[in-house]
Amino acid sequence: MSVSPTQPVIGGAQVPTDDGRSGPTRRDRARPWKRAPYLIAVALAGVVFTYPFVWLVSASLKPRTEVFDNALVPKTWQWSNFADVWDYAPMLSWIGNSAIVGIAAAVSVTISSALVAFGFAYFRFPGRNLLFGLVLATMMLPQAVTMIPVYLIWNEIGLTGTQVPLWAQNIFGSAFYIFLLRQFFLGLPRELFEAARIDGSGFGGLFWRIALPLCRPALAIVFVFEIQASWNDLLKPLIYLQDTALFTVPRGLKSIIDTFGNGGEQHWEIIMAASLIATIPMIIIFAIAQKHIIEGIATQGRKG
Amino acid sequence: MSTTSAPVRRATPGRSRRNWRETRAAYAFIGLWIVGSLVFTLGPMIASLVLSFTDYDAIAEPRNVGFDNYREMIADPKVAKALGNTLVYAVLYVPTAMVVALALALLLNRLGRGSGFFRTVFYLPVMTPTVAVGALFLLLLNGNQGLLNRTLGLVGITGPNWTTDTDWVKPGLAVTMLWGVGGMVVIYLAALRQVPKDLYEAADLDGAGAWTKFRRVTIPMISGSLFFTLIVQTIAALQMFDQAYTMFFGAQENSTYSNEAALFYVIYLFQQAFQFLHMGYASALAWLLFLIIIVITAVQVRVSRRFVYYEGERG
Amino acid sequence: MTITRRGLITGSLGTLAVGALSACGGVGDSGNDASKGGAGKGDTGALSTQGFGKPDDVGQARIDAFKSAYPNVQVNLNEGDFDPQQFLSAVASGNPPDLVYLDRGLVGSYASRGAIQPLDDLLGGAGIKTGDYREAAIKEVTLDGKVYGVPEFYNTRNILVNGKAIEEAGLTLADVSTTDWNRLHTVTRQLYRAAGGRTTRIGFDPKLPEFLPLWAKANGADLVNPDGSPNLEDPKIIEALTYALSLIDEQGGWSKFKAFRDTWDLFGAGNQFVKNQAAAFPWEGWYVNVLVQSSPKIDLRSTPFTDRQGKPITFQNGSAWCLPKDAKNPAAAVNWMKVMTSTDTWLKAGAARQATVEQNKSIFTGLWTANTAADEQVKAKYVKPGPTGFDKAVENYYAASDYAFGVNASKAGSEIKVAWQEAVNRALSGQQKPDAALRQAQSEASKAFSAAK
Repeated sequence: MSVSPTQPVIGGAQVPTDDGRSGPTRRDRARPWKRAPYLIAVALAGVVFTYPFVWLVSASLKPRTEVFDNALVPKTWQWSNFADVWDYAPMLSWIGNSAIVGIAAAVSVTISSALVAFGFAYFRFPGRNLLFGLVLATMMLPQAVTMIPVYLIWNEIGLTGTQVPLWAQNIFGSAFYIFLLRQFFLGLPRELFEAARIDGSGFGGLFWRIALPLCRPALAIVFVFEIQASWNDLLKPLIYLQDTALFTVPRGLKSIIDTFGNGGEQHWEIIMAASLIATIPMIIIFAIAQKHIIEGIATQGRKG
Repeated sequence: MSTTSAPVRRATPGRSRRNWRETRAAYAFIGLWIVGSLVFTLGPMIASLVLSFTDYDAIAEPRNVGFDNYREMIADPKVAKALGNTLVYAVLYVPTAMVVALALALLLNRLGRGSGFFRTVFYLPVMTPTVAVGALFLLLLNGNQGLLNRTLGLVGITGPNWTTDTDWVKPGLAVTMLWGVGGMVVIYLAALRQVPKDLYEAADLDGAGAWTKFRRVTIPMISGSLFFTLIVQTIAALQMFDQAYTMFFGAQENSTYSNEAALFYVIYLFQQAFQFLHMGYASALAWLLFLIIIVITAVQVRVSRRFVYYEGERG
Repeated sequence: MTITRRGLITGSLGTLAVGALSACGGVGDSGNDASKGGAGKGDTGALSTQGFGKPDDVGQARIDAFKSAYPNVQVNLNEGDFDPQQFLSAVASGNPPDLVYLDRGLVGSYASRGAIQPLDDLLGGAGIKTGDYREAAIKEVTLDGKVYGVPEFYNTRNILVNGKAIEEAGLTLADVSTTDWNRLHTVTRQLYRAAGGRTTRIGFDPKLPEFLPLWAKANGADLVNPDGSPNLEDPKIIEALTYALSLIDEQGGWSKFKAFRDTWDLFGAGNQFVKNQAAAFPWEGWYVNVLVQSSPKIDLRSTPFTDRQGKPITFQNGSAWCLPKDAKNPAAAVNWMKVMTSTDTWLKAGAARQATVEQNKSIFTGLWTANTAADEQVKAKYVKPGPTGFDKAVENYYAASDYAFGVNASKAGSEIKVAWQEAVNRALSGQQKPDAALRQAQSEASKAFSAAK
């Protein structure tokens, strides 16, 4: 974890702000003690937000009887919890499955959404506004409405019980990412494309050689978002996967909770260890792609 | 949304052959999406509507039952229960999350140096897989020995049984979800940073106090983001599934005893469709949800039109 | 749209055709003289299971027994407990497991839905005699005269008592009795402890909703009628539920009670007896094997659950192996059922448990199976005298196996069970009074019962 849970205040104060466009007024800057109340408030909130993590890590290392003692540092360090998870569940292959599904989902959705977004951003054609309106409309469409017929389609093709339905729909793009990428494409100077056209480049060339390379950060955002979405997805694996060996991380974790949790053996320390294992890859991704993720989220709220 | 009209390119003076080529190329680019939405969105939506008038279990052939499913839906006490739960949760969670996120974003905005770090801290929980969040909060919220109630106990409050008392299950889930409010914080913070400084300075000159500035400058200037999160979070809340299912449902039929209080609409829909294989009935349930979401979103759009300020045509 | 609709129809036709084909295949395979050589004997091919959780020593020994008897069968255990949604999705999509392991109470529902197949034609070929199994278990897996499953464990309930707690309260084992309901109320109150608004010890846990069948029977009623129809609004059942609930209300009410129980270390060294967090509760026999691990620290006592006339009663349940619709290797599946539940195999399992017991310097506390002969032989061979309290507990469970009743089988068994469990949950959480909750359950269950084929 990139955050030191014990010293958020000190650690935080050292990190320079990433952009100074707004923030405190000039008067405050001149008088740093004016910041103190904000710093304290934010630091307190930071502790509240960090503590569950710390609790998770700590509980995953405790023996069963100490899980609820809420001590920050385990009285007894029980590393064997992780061995037990490994022993009970094919955690590693679940992580592998999630990685495969996540990468398939992310690669397909990034390429396809970029294609479609470029179509909407660059060209002016009859029906464009109507179609783009439909893209926006499908963003609002609850997955639940199409869940059953989509299941029946995959069932018809004979792909239920495989991992394909977890990602293959992404080949056709996803409304949200189309919307996001279109914003980025619209931000590119038109002259670049006109120049390439004059040099004899085809539309495909405009896309591959100009639009895509220039929008690499945006593509990274889409890619990472989809990896995360896929890593989180519980509903689709519940519907489509029956073979334990094919489970993804959330589905596998759910089965661990079913076995060891309430009504099961109440081995909360095992569940916490498994939850931690499931979380770590996302934390690593966050550590690597933090800038893209934050930027991507921030973009969402801005007016398109 | 006002996005479709971004006038980036000027129409080139009428060269129709070139336009035709461009149109063809454009459709080639967006063709994937058109095919995809016909097969995976429009088709399924119509199929779902057709199925909602049948009795279908994915094994035997669908049987036309007219409006039976809709009639059953009205009589089914669990539909009312699930709808009620879902709405109560959405009403609890969405406004609370917006207020908390805005408060944190305002603090971060005032903080200046270090805000980047804390933004990361607030965002980190969003990266935790939803199933892990469910498992974790099931323990943190335990009424007898959980962290939350122990902490409340320190200040002399006897906390409720968040996971076992039916009245407190939905507030408990709202607390769980609040941990993931960091995404909204990032959005609001970005919006706050876009607010032009001169507006505040002008307000200062008028002698406006902090509250007036907040109400008259900040809120209108970030109303677009507020509106966006309101819509998105409401739709998401109405489709609550992962955390509630993790905490209160699953293979162990006895896993929890308070789970009717956590029976959210999509969970019930999922159970009907894939646990009992009542695909026709579940399709009817799906359409009801769709209509509810459309109505709620439409109302939100209509109401907020009066309040949302859109910055000119800045792109 | 047209695509989807055509898809639906061809899809269902396809399913029907596959179903018909495999039905023929099933019949052909059941004969020992099947012309396709080894394939018909069920000693080759793949065998995947669903619902059989991570095996313990006893489970592993029996799996090993199968593997050594049928080395050419590729066994693929989908570890994890039975999940109805997982199983039904698998069947609906035409990829069923070759075997499914589920609670016998659910068998009727899945049978009437066609999700599992009758075994009558296959059992004889594999040499499985239903008479070898306890009658109550076979009754649970029989619907309309056809047998749909081979029963495995046979769990019964007795009351386990924490000697330390009753002595602290100045009571004796005889005071913890379900015969006199008024008396039990008083005793529960005396055994219950709370401090600072938090429960610290449960006096008597009526184990709701799971043990409602027991409370109902104690008051002279069955949840399911012999014909399989639900009997949930019987005044005797309402009375039983009202009473069992009052025991919980006596102890701080449900939400506190449950929140406290969730924190127990049920299977660990810090379990609720060691930590004096529980005084008495009815429980299945296998739990003695958990408690024995803390044996010197626990003063275990036990006594049968009795009806209001003082007659010992208990209900039994357990899982059964069933054959899903369209299962691809029925002959091997039936061989599996035979091996997993035969007397020889249970003896091997007993040996494995004995080895574990010796390793842990613990004692053998019995295996509770639906195979009568196996139980007797395992008991004779491995159950040795140990600490008195545990001895007595083991003795009580062996006795209980002989008088246990089962919930009557029903074509809507699963729906009826869900209905009464949810009713109890509603009553526990205070959303409904017991009578209203059970009336709603009765109407839900009746609807499911009349809808079932």
